[in-house]
Amino acid sequence: MEKVDIHQLTNEQIAFHIILHSGNARSKIVQAIREYRSGQIEESERLIEEAEQELGVAHDVHFQLIQKEASGKPTTITLLLMHAEDHVMSTLAMKEIVKEMLALLKERNI
Amino acid sequence: MKRILLACSAGMSTSLLVTKMQEYVKSIGEEAEIWAVGQDQAKKEMENADVVLIGPQMSFLKGELQKEAQKYGIQVDVIDMVAYGMADGKKVYEQALKLMEEK
Repeated sequence: MEKVDIHQLTNEQIAFHIILHSGNARSKIVQAIREYRSGQIEESERLIEEAEQELGVAHDVHFQLIQKEASGKPTTITLLLMHAEDHVMSTLAMKEIVKEMLALLKERNI
Repeated sequence: MKRILLACSAGMSTSLLVTKMQEYVKSIGEEAEIWAVGQDQAKKEMENADVVLIGPQMSFLKGELQKEAQKYGIQVDVIDMVAYGMADGKKVYEQALKLMEEK
């Protein structure tokens, strides 16, 4: 998955990139459950892997912002950026829960 | 007048895109009605639209929305990823126009 360099982007575009990649992850996580329900277990696992890659990109953008702040260049906080951060964190939590849930269902042959 | 509906989970990021698209539409001397809603409102609002574009965070709802959109004979698609990431109002507007031609 391609790495996003925040230095090439405006603050607004940074937020949009975070929402884009965590948003892609969110969609893939929901699709993973749906595939599992229809018996497509391998497809479901593939979607979770893809979701993790998307989340990796979103998290990396977030991490670059943290590093920038640590080096003495804090980012201006906007409601949009807060919204983007919220997207990443809620999708991370969602991914953990769904991954555990799918593993549990698979173990029980459901 | 062209009517373009954008939808994302909370209607927040797309609200900003609406502003960007309207700026572009104005700059080329055209007129369009563009508005954004949260994902729960999308089905209700689509009867007033000529095209529906959705954010990446709700692309899993595309099929469901498309089914609903067939009633009104309009298209539903996910906003182009590059255009979304760059918050590019021009590209999203052009995507909407293209979809309207296809209907």
